[in-house]
Amino acid sequence: MKAVRVVDVWWKYVGRSDYALKGAGLEVERGEFFALMGHSGAGKTTLALAISGIIPQRIPGEFKGKVEVLGENTLSRDVTELARKVAIVFEDPEIQFVMSTVEDEIVLALEPLGLHRDEIRERIKWSLELVGLSEDFLSRSPLQLSGGEKQRVAIATAIAREPEVLVLDEPTSDLDPVGKDEVVLAIRRLRDELDTTVILIEHEPEHVAEFADRVAVLGSGRVVMEGDPGSVLTRFDKLKENGVYPPDAAEIATKLGLNSNMYRLEEVAQALRGLIKGVRKTEKGGGKQPGEVLLKCLNVHYVYPNGVKALQGASLEVHSGELIALVGPNGSGKTTLAKTICGLLQPTDGRIELLGKRLEEYDRLQLSSLVSYVYQNPDHQIFNKTVYEEVAFGLRLRRLPEGEIRKRVEEALKLFGLTGLEGEHPFFLSKGEKRRLALASVYALNPKILIVDEPTTGQDMKFGETLALMLRKLADEGKAVVVITHSVPLFARYADRFVVMRKGTVIADGPPREVMLSKSAEEGKLVMPQSLRLYLKLGLDPSLAPLSVEEFLKTVVV
Amino acid sequence: MPTILGELASVESKSKWYMDLHVLSKFSLPFSISVAILFVRDPLSALSVVLVAAASCLAAGIPLSALKMYIAVIVSMSTFIVLAFSLFTYIPGRTLYEAVLWSVQAEKGVFEWKIRITDAGLMYSVTFVLRIFAMVLSATLLLATLTDRDLVWGLRSLKLPLGACVAASLFFRGIQMFISDFYTIREAMMARGIDFKRTPLAKRFFLYVNALIPLLSLMITRSFEVSLALESRGISPGSKASSAYHEYLLRRKDYIVMAVSVLLSMAYAVWWWVA
Repeated sequence: MKAVRVVDVWWKYVGRSDYALKGAGLEVERGEFFALMGHSGAGKTTLALAISGIIPQRIPGEFKGKVEVLGENTLSRDVTELARKVAIVFEDPEIQFVMSTVEDEIVLALEPLGLHRDEIRERIKWSLELVGLSEDFLSRSPLQLSGGEKQRVAIATAIAREPEVLVLDEPTSDLDPVGKDEVVLAIRRLRDELDTTVILIEHEPEHVAEFADRVAVLGSGRVVMEGDPGSVLTRFDKLKENGVYPPDAAEIATKLGLNSNMYRLEEVAQALRGLIKGVRKTEKGGGKQPGEVLLKCLNVHYVYPNGVKALQGASLEVHSGELIALVGPNGSGKTTLAKTICGLLQPTDGRIELLGKRLEEYDRLQLSSLVSYVYQNPDHQIFNKTVYEEVAFGLRLRRLPEGEIRKRVEEALKLFGLTGLEGEHPFFLSKGEKRRLALASVYALNPKILIVDEPTTGQDMKFGETLALMLRKLADEGKAVVVITHSVPLFARYADRFVVMRKGTVIADGPPREVMLSKSAEEGKLVMPQSLRLYLKLGLDPSLAPLSVEEFLKTVVV
Repeated sequence: MPTILGELASVESKSKWYMDLHVLSKFSLPFSISVAILFVRDPLSALSVVLVAAASCLAAGIPLSALKMYIAVIVSMSTFIVLAFSLFTYIPGRTLYEAVLWSVQAEKGVFEWKIRITDAGLMYSVTFVLRIFAMVLSATLLLATLTDRDLVWGLRSLKLPLGACVAASLFFRGIQMFISDFYTIREAMMARGIDFKRTPLAKRFFLYVNALIPLLSLMITRSFEVSLALESRGISPGSKASSAYHEYLLRRKDYIVMAVSVLLSMAYAVWWWVA
């Protein structure tokens, strides 16, 4: 008997013109670790909801086809009964919490099962232990935990019910590198110690390569690729066509003519060891001269009213025409520093100079015309009734002539691919469109410095690539762009500088390659690109280290 | 675990003994003070309720400095009450001051608008102000000692449906999220150039109305996501669950607090009856 059987499933949400699932079909064996990949909007979460029975039982829409879990049609049982067999952990850990302590959260999941108190206690202890959390967490509020801890509590809550099928819907995509590591460790333990069938929905090819027995790629509502990781992760063109990026190691192995089914870092390193003839020096960029100094942060401190010392002497210079990646673990002070630069927070000590003048000398309107800030969640930033009005808002505030406003709005909408959506209500835009709208609305103000807070979090790699290209273009036009990000491998290819923060100070500042090869990379918990890790694993000359597959292939001679 | 007032204004009980009480006990004391307020009708009894409420707050480990945040409200309400009873309402008693503000000769005689301050009016005002003060203290006692967990498990121990208890918990989470989102949106508006300090009141009002768009958008998205998360755990409005896990038993100290509460209410009822 299959754990999950999805047969020709079609699903259309009410009010949508297109189907989210268009004949999706797959089979998952019992005890299998199955990975599901695909671009944002491909229908991965919709398929997970169909497996849990929530679609079509609780969400209105048009459903065709059949979903079976452990031999039973999901339509034949109520969702609450199916929930005994299928558990889902969603992408955003915070939204899954209802109760005010970790203990109550797990208890809430167990009480409907009608278990005895002692059994509930046992299961709480076991599930927390499995995800690497101690019993000290029981009395803590889930909302006060770190991202990785929150997601592990969500996983513990799911596995405490001992489900036969566990669906992990992008469990690491909202997390910083530390959180990601914690959750990956928990998933590793799940894989090793449980015989539950696990369906992992994931963007990170490396995680899939490590865990999956089988992989399927969903493209626009249907399964377009399926098979063992070796056969799927090595078909780069088809993967990229569907918004999925293969592991660097797999791409390198194939392009160097090694066994075409290799996709794990270790095995590719092993295969390459005897074949390398040497390395050659190649043009790697990064020699760009910095433009004029726009901003100087000198020994900036900031203490929040609750006493948290977020900045403890951070210093930074920002030049025109630069794309800076501000990196470091959560709580290192990246957002606080960005907000002090925008004047949204007043430093408790230290000085910030913008174009040679102290920040306090500017009024709010002047300052926001020079330095713009794009929030991580576009929903926090968009408050007008149409896309056009949203972009025009800041310009109207500055009392620009209507003709000039029209010109700037059109230019911004064109640049960010929103032309044609002028009359749309922002509420009905997709997540990616909302992000681009948020960017367009501050770009229209023509600021000298643009700060973008975690623009790629929770987005697929294709979107990340497009966005990084856009930001690169803005920097090349002369703007200073500061991106707060955890997507180190992506911005290693586009940024001029990496500024690493830890405990409220800047611990490293320099070209990406230099920073990633320094000790600060470890201190700042930076995740290096896989091609760089492979290169270093081979013990080759670090001064020529590549940051991408293309650079690796140019540098390494086999 | 932060209390309701702790989350909203960082004021909460520091007494472990009091915080460890059953939710019914935590509820009974402020409730009895509120009942006592109903029986108060002179400044002396009102003052005694204020003192009892203040002593209860202190006993519960709530710093009275928390009252600072209510000062503006208390002062403005007291002023309003004193003015209302002194200037606009005639309460029979010994006249201390009298003045005619306006006099009109009408067909049926002279119509006069007088200010007449009487000793009874002043006493009435003082009693009212003290009653409000006592109410503020009893509300502080309740909110600074009650956590949302207390409320949810209190509801569970009353055998209310699981859906209702989860809804209560979500309500408290919703408030926190709403406040946090509101401040982020306000900050995002400032990042676009709005200076709230210099913006005229009417324009500020419209900006806040604009903020409702993202707030609603976030609320709808989150409600949908939360409902999916709950459904996927098998929890729906009609779900049933045993509440056996939490042993929410009354202990000796709970009986003591509840007995004191009942006696307090009774004492004021008797005082009211005798007076």
